[in-house]
Amino acid sequence: MKEIVKVKLENEMDLILAHKRAMKLCELTGFSLINQTSIATAVSEIARCAIEHGQNAILLLGIESGVTKKFLKASIRDTIDFTQRAGEACSYAKRLVDDIEIVRSGKDIQINLKQQLNFGGTITDSKIESFIGYFKNEPPLSAYDELRRKNLLLQDLAEKIRDSENDYRILTDSLPLMMFSVNNRGVITYTNKWLQDFLGTVPKELNSNAWQNFLHPSDYSAFGKEITASVQRQSPFNGQYRFKEKATGNFIWHMFSAIPLKNEKEIVTRWIGFIVDISAQKQVDQTLKDNKELKEIQDQLFNNQEELQRKVVELNRSNYELEQFAHLASHDLQEPLRKLFFYSDVLKRKFSDKIDEAGVGILNNMTAAAGRMKELINDLLSYSQLQKQQIVFEDVDLNDTISDIIKDLDLTIKEKNAVVKFAEMPNVRGNPLRLRQLFINLISNSLKYSKKDVAPQIEITSETDGGNYYIRVKDNGIGFEEQYSERIFGLFERLHTRNEFPGTGIGLSICKRIAELHQGKISATSKVGEYSIFSIELPVVGKKETVEAD
Amino acid sequence: MENNYEILVVDDDREDHLILSEYFRDIGIENRVHYVENGKYALEYMEKIALDNKLPRLVILDLNMPIMNGTQTLLHMKQSFRLKNVPVIIFSTSENETEKRKCLSLGAVDYLVKPVSYNEGLLMVNKFRSFLE
Repeated sequence: MKEIVKVKLENEMDLILAHKRAMKLCELTGFSLINQTSIATAVSEIARCAIEHGQNAILLLGIESGVTKKFLKASIRDTIDFTQRAGEACSYAKRLVDDIEIVRSGKDIQINLKQQLNFGGTITDSKIESFIGYFKNEPPLSAYDELRRKNLLLQDLAEKIRDSENDYRILTDSLPLMMFSVNNRGVITYTNKWLQDFLGTVPKELNSNAWQNFLHPSDYSAFGKEITASVQRQSPFNGQYRFKEKATGNFIWHMFSAIPLKNEKEIVTRWIGFIVDISAQKQVDQTLKDNKELKEIQDQLFNNQEELQRKVVELNRSNYELEQFAHLASHDLQEPLRKLFFYSDVLKRKFSDKIDEAGVGILNNMTAAAGRMKELINDLLSYSQLQKQQIVFEDVDLNDTISDIIKDLDLTIKEKNAVVKFAEMPNVRGNPLRLRQLFINLISNSLKYSKKDVAPQIEITSETDGGNYYIRVKDNGIGFEEQYSERIFGLFERLHTRNEFPGTGIGLSICKRIAELHQGKISATSKVGEYSIFSIELPVVGKKETVEAD
Repeated sequence: MENNYEILVVDDDREDHLILSEYFRDIGIENRVHYVENGKYALEYMEKIALDNKLPRLVILDLNMPIMNGTQTLLHMKQSFRLKNVPVIIFSTSENETEKRKCLSLGAVDYLVKPVSYNEGLLMVNKFRSFLE
């Protein structure tokens, strides 16, 4: 049915309107006056019944198009069933119109009256539009009619607003961000679905619990301060805070914005707010920051490495120069010294008849002094060579090494009445010459620093823990004070005067250096007047074939 | 006269030339010895006299010398077709074992550390003389 005019049926006044409109539409559609009266009467009868027994009854007048014919149609509808009390009215109306039907649907019940149009072909769509226009602009039939019309208009508007509001609600609910509005008393009046789902709360709860429950503990105080300040200033507010997601319990970074809405008098009437997920952006920011820091650290590292490289090169050069110097100095020092020996010998030999006994004594002292210098130079030379040379490693049986040393020192051992004992020694990876030098220095020291009237007892033992060999050279000599146990390995360190014990103060430095070249260690303990123990630690497996001494 | 030199002493130390020449005089062979100051001169000298097929019967070679040192000289001699069979005795202040082994492996017949006493020197000079017999 094409609707033309609508009348709300509430009271007697409406009945008059219903009758008059029905009359008018019949007139417009070309019914005779008799027909107009009949139809309007039938409509009035049913409408009266609806007013009396119904609740929200309305009358709709319109044109219905059949297959070939057109009808004027009056439809009286209500949400409650008024038809049971309308039997009499219906039978009366039946006599006045072509057709009457009762239709029940889910939402309402209708009594429809139909009368075929005499000149159906002339009632075109545009004609119908003109009828609609007529009723819309029809001068009010009465003060009541005017009121009624205004009322209808208002209801229409309200319906439209509801629809529009509904649209907006659907829109805000489907947006992937949290929205809310707050009235000027600070009460939250609206929250969208996203907010309710995310925070797991409804406006009422949000008001009573405030925001504390939904914000990260360390963000809350800043949030509170900012929002108070913003409310006082009555100006918009933005901030980044972590909000707790109800579903996961995780805190997620959001941008919180609140905007005050003002009326025409510039007074804030309410606030609207948005909370947008910015965790992705935060992550990007953090990653960028991390990358930047990483880059800085890398640069720093690179600089440090360059610096280190430069230092290493410098150190190597300086070491090399030092070695060259030590080597050349000792070599070039040897030369004049040798001549000194040679000439004093020639002097004694060839000119013995011209030099008296005192002169020979002086010559001997001179040769002895030169001898000490030669010893010093030789020790220095071998120490500087230890720094320099690439040493070749092979399997060394320390049993052989120590036996050989004992043989070589045989004369001194006999002289001092000494006893040198050694237990089963291990096979190690090392340089045989250097290891020999190490042990010969230690054993010679033990023989040298023996007590005057006690025969030296030297014991060499070996232990292992699987990772290292621990070789100990123990004697019953004069010992030294514990406080010197580190210092004695320093270059030129001496604990005695030359008159007591001759020496250069280089021997133990050489031992230390040799132990280090074998990735090992050397240390000493002692008790004055009782013993000294020198412990050498050597790795069980030396993997490298050769070692570049640094 | 030049062609009669049978021992070539290569040493930058003039004092050692004097000491050696004293010894050589003592044993009466001072006229059969020629002295040069470094390896370069030694090689030049030997290449020259080699043309007359008059190579020295012994070269006494110091190690530490300017311009061309002892090891370089030895290496050159051993690589030279004409000089490779001339015996070389190293005569050096250095007691370094590594240096000694290196020289012997390069083909020196002996390695002597310069003497610190008259008798030591005398033994060495007698060894030198044995190459002339």
